[in-house]
Amino acid sequence: MNVFDAIVLALRQVWAQKLKSFFTLLGVIVGVTFLISVIAVVEGMNRYVQEDFAGSIFGINTITIERIYSRRGGREDDRTRRRQARNPDIQVADAELLRQKVPDIWYMAQSNDRFMPEVRSGQNKRNNVRLIGVTDEYFALQGWDIVEGRGLTRIDDLRAIRTAVIGDAIAKKLYPDDSPIGRDIRLGPFRYRVVGVLERQGGLIGNIRDASVVIPWGAYQADFARERDVVENIQIKFRTSEAMAAGQAAAEEILRARHRLRPGQENDFDIETASEILNAWNTIKNVLLAAGPGLVAVALVVGGIVIMNIMLMSVLERTREIGVRKALGARRLDITRQFLAESATLSCVGATVGMVVGILLARLVDMLTPLPATVPIWSIVLGVALGLLVGLVFGVYPAVRAARLEPIVALRYE
Amino acid sequence: MIKPPDNAVILTQELRKDYELGAETVHARQGVDIQIDQNDFVAIMGPSGSGKSTLLNLIGCLDTPTAGQYWLSGQEVSQLDDNELARIRNQRIGFIFQTFNLLPRTTELHNVELPLIYAGVSAKERHARAKETLDAVGLADRMHHHPNELSGGERQRVAIARALVNKPSLVLADEPTGNLDSHTSQEIMDILVKLHENGETILLVTHERDIAAYSDRLITLRDGKVETDERHEIGEPIA
Ligand SMILES: Nc1ncnc2c1ncn2[C@@H]1O[C@H](COP(=O)(O)OP(=O)(O)OP(=O)(O)O)[C@@H](O)[C@H]1O
Ligand SMILES: [Mg+2]
Repeated sequence: MNVFDAIVLALRQVWAQKLKSFFTLLGVIVGVTFLISVIAVVEGMNRYVQEDFAGSIFGINTITIERIYSRRGGREDDRTRRRQARNPDIQVADAELLRQKVPDIWYMAQSNDRFMPEVRSGQNKRNNVRLIGVTDEYFALQGWDIVEGRGLTRIDDLRAIRTAVIGDAIAKKLYPDDSPIGRDIRLGPFRYRVVGVLERQGGLIGNIRDASVVIPWGAYQADFARERDVVENIQIKFRTSEAMAAGQAAAEEILRARHRLRPGQENDFDIETASEILNAWNTIKNVLLAAGPGLVAVALVVGGIVIMNIMLMSVLERTREIGVRKALGARRLDITRQFLAESATLSCVGATVGMVVGILLARLVDMLTPLPATVPIWSIVLGVALGLLVGLVFGVYPAVRAARLEPIVALRYE
Repeated sequence: MIKPPDNAVILTQELRKDYELGAETVHARQGVDIQIDQNDFVAIMGPSGSGKSTLLNLIGCLDTPTAGQYWLSGQEVSQLDDNELARIRNQRIGFIFQTFNLLPRTTELHNVELPLIYAGVSAKERHARAKETLDAVGLADRMHHHPNELSGGERQRVAIARALVNKPSLVLADEPTGNLDSHTSQEIMDILVKLHENGETILLVTHERDIAAYSDRLITLRDGKVETDERHEIGEPIA
């Protein structure tokens, strides 16, 4: 019996009984779907965290110091939150001290931000804007490029000049036809002169940057600060991760000393690094990757057992056929091969369906959530290979049973 | 140890087949000695349950004897292993069944190709030979039909083509006309007669005297034993 014939036969049977085949192959389908989609999400998340999330918000080798943990997707519990509510404000003087004492700083910037319901220019306006007051190294630290005009300078900051760098979305909204440089925007009662436009980020979290208006720290303090000399956010960037680790330890020590914390007392400020976020993600990822194979294996084994059952039934139903084949000269090996090819084909069909569903699922995740799920080729290869393996492994027993039938017994089977 | 004569296609000695049915032992074949020579056309008759099919299956290597010896073209087959038996069934024996035993989901052509597939013949040659054999039984024009689209007589002709495609030295037919009307039976017998004329050795189990009359030798069985074994003229009516 040639293998090709067995495959064609198996495919025909799958097609002839689509619904039955579907249920037969459900285990394998679920297993491979799960495999493909979990890998896709993990890969996507990985990229997201490493390229977008860690890179843009926290930056590589950057520490962030805040009074309380304020970032999106906070994972602190209630107790921590209550404790943090009593944390003292971080003062400009604290930031100054850090700048002097923390070793190997590459860039350091402080920023406060607030929500602005609108920003206007003439008749045009843009709603829901994030207003940030920053010191001059902020742009370099964040890696934000200016596509038009210039960034904010130390002079802007010290003199509290009302200058602004605006995000791409705002520039397009307020000045659809001409350059925003040199034009005035209204922020509340104040006029600010636009000196630069930020490079468009787009993508997942870009809309935050694109809808931002960045003004000098001094001007923000004068016009918008809720409390003077309070810093909401300090970021320090280092050249290497070793420098960052040392810098983080130093900053922690300095602030603890200033806040007169005794050893053993918890920090009354929040200090985070991008790598902590990465660590958190790595933990989640490891759980997924550890639990995933187990679930996939269970689904595949269940699927394999169902396939084995179906094949045993098929052997029974086709006992006479086996007898005829043997009467015509089929050896045990021929019969074994025929039924193995059939079960392998069956489970490969399941794996293929699972693969398609998995890819669609990954697409869906990609479209509907901020996670860029990607399906790596190796996961497809793995899925199909596992399907093939399941078919072969669980096909052995029925195939051997078929092959062992005595020709005359098989021929006389009613 | 007996050495079979050169012209003996089949020689059996004390060939037995017992079936254990609970405590009882059914002696389907009780120590049968037969010799069948090249180009014999043997009809085997006997009452139902006398062991005709059992004998044919033993000769066809579909079944293994409980005791005794069996030489097929001088080769002792009761000692052979599974694969060697499969090879003998494939190369040396053509089986024709009462119920045709065609594979239902495949075409005539594929059915006829089966022995060649197991013989390891290449697809191209397989095709050519299967077509040629179907042509010989007058069915070349319908080779892409499935068995359920054929009449009983046509199905049996396909089955004969399948039995012959590997050019076996021995054709075994267990009531080949048992499911056919007398006209189609006639057609089938005509094919067998022609085969015999071309030198084939044929064993035919039948219940009908006028079918047995096509043979040149009649063996009757009773209770698992040979009762009579006589040669006769082809076409001579059987008493
Ligand atoms: N697998 C089996 N198990 C038990 N007994 C069997 C088996 N096969 C055949 N027999 C018995 O062996 C004896 C011979 O059977 P066999 O089929 O050879 O008879 P037969 O001459 O071909 O009969 P028929 O003309 O009805 O086809 C019968 O008594 C039958 O019951
Ligand atoms: Mg019989």
